[in-house]
Amino acid sequence: MPDTADWGHATELDAGLAPVAITGIGETAYTKASGRTAREIGAEAAQRAIADAGLTPADIDGITWSGAFADFDVDAFHEHFGTSHEMWTSPWGGGMAWAATAPYLAAQAINDGKARHVLNVFPVAWATQRASMTGGPGEVHAAQSLKQNLEVPFGWFPQPVYFDSIMRRQMIEFGTLPEQFGAIAVACRRHANLHPDAVMHGRPMTIDDYVAAPFLADPLRLLDSCLISDGGAAYVTTSVERARDMPNTPAVVAGVGEGYSSSGGHWALQRAFTSTPQVFSAPGAFAMAGLSPADVDVLTVYDPFTVVSLMQIEDMGFCPKGEAGRFVEGDTLFHDAGKLPFNTHGGLLSHAYVLGIAHVVECVKQLRGVAPAQVPDCQVAVYGGYTGHMASTLVLTKDR
Amino acid sequence: MAIKRDDFPLPDVDDPLTAPFFAGAAQDELLIPRCESCGEYVWYPQATCPHDGGALVWTPVSGRGTLFTWAVVQRAFLPAFEDQVPFVTALVALEEDPAVRLCTYVVDTAPEHLVADSPVEVTFRPLEFTTVPGRSVMVPMFVPGSAQP
Repeated sequence: MPDTADWGHATELDAGLAPVAITGIGETAYTKASGRTAREIGAEAAQRAIADAGLTPADIDGITWSGAFADFDVDAFHEHFGTSHEMWTSPWGGGMAWAATAPYLAAQAINDGKARHVLNVFPVAWATQRASMTGGPGEVHAAQSLKQNLEVPFGWFPQPVYFDSIMRRQMIEFGTLPEQFGAIAVACRRHANLHPDAVMHGRPMTIDDYVAAPFLADPLRLLDSCLISDGGAAYVTTSVERARDMPNTPAVVAGVGEGYSSSGGHWALQRAFTSTPQVFSAPGAFAMAGLSPADVDVLTVYDPFTVVSLMQIEDMGFCPKGEAGRFVEGDTLFHDAGKLPFNTHGGLLSHAYVLGIAHVVECVKQLRGVAPAQVPDCQVAVYGGYTGHMASTLVLTKDR
Repeated sequence: MAIKRDDFPLPDVDDPLTAPFFAGAAQDELLIPRCESCGEYVWYPQATCPHDGGALVWTPVSGRGTLFTWAVVQRAFLPAFEDQVPFVTALVALEEDPAVRLCTYVVDTAPEHLVADSPVEVTFRPLEFTTVPGRSVMVPMFVPGSAQP
């Protein structure tokens, strides 16, 4: 494995901004193909988040969304709510890694007096779109010419093949066992079964079920893989000062981090093939928060495949590199008994594939004490975002 | 965003960024872009060297490498692969610079005989898909080999 200095870096973030908190959360139903558009889903999530914060659409004076999936942007906001007021905007929010960094953008806008209440929204309707192949993770990738010419013709496509290759290399380097990948899948399913909104609610799964599941690409099993879903969520970020007068327990944004690999956006070429840029992101977020991994009460990470969870658990500092397989065995990840309650809503594997936005919502619920699989006395909740060559970290705490 | 090219998933051999790779394969040569001024191999191909902006020249390499990782694909993710599964797609790290990893097929061996980091050697074979009848592109594939010539 290359030295860390050789393969990536952290983004420098300002730890001195006026403190902010997540004050409102909103979710739609999480489903298989619903027939709805992402725009409709985004509008519903936004509406619910604004209401949860005790606000009206006219109070929202900032909005962030994902520029790569601009289904619910500022224009959609105004059209849906019939508003026309000036808003601070950024297309560098939404889901995936940006679900963690959107509160930092909001903090900058709030700190600079450009906004008071900033909405971050991310909807997706890939389950509905999959039928016509007009969306979804595979098609996005196949459209890139380098992949079309140098990866797809050789069968190195799509995401299950990339992550199968990472999984095998992790087994080669660290001796990770199938059952250790399975421990991630089982913990996520266990939590989904406690979560009425989870797509896989009511479908229990054991480690034996995991081992018996078919391979998509050996050694990656169907149950190592995330769902494809329709759904969305949104949250409102406000100054901590204002948040104290709002209806909900504030989820204070204590630390944010962002890290990049310098190997570019192609999985095949990542120099640190079995690591994520959490190596660069997480330390900054914990430092900003004045906390360490040992202080974390609940961890949610972007988990498209089980190996991505193992890598992030290591790279965020919850166990030494190469030891996540042994670390996650047994009840480690369980919400009620484990030393690291993990993806307590079920994650992308068993809750819904809404690209990380529901992970942040789950962290907020845990801090409010209202999560379906509630971690007792949750004080610190962390989201680890991952988008290939980029990772991000969001440390949320109770108002301390 | 849908793929319109009727020979997909064969490579587009006319794409200027990657055309020399396939032209080389048609001549039994494995060519990788290398910077004229700093000598670094640059993979994937780019317009110029990301290190110093130097011109990139498609340069023959030995065709030797090691098997970095591989997937035994069992489900076809595209219609073209339905009659191919199960197949082995691999990342091969080249001897000249192991940071250059090729996505490729490992052929002439059974998946259970593959060994991590073992030596492999290039072989040039026609790539064909029954979904793209009558078309064929020569591409580098790999077979188990020896570390030194």
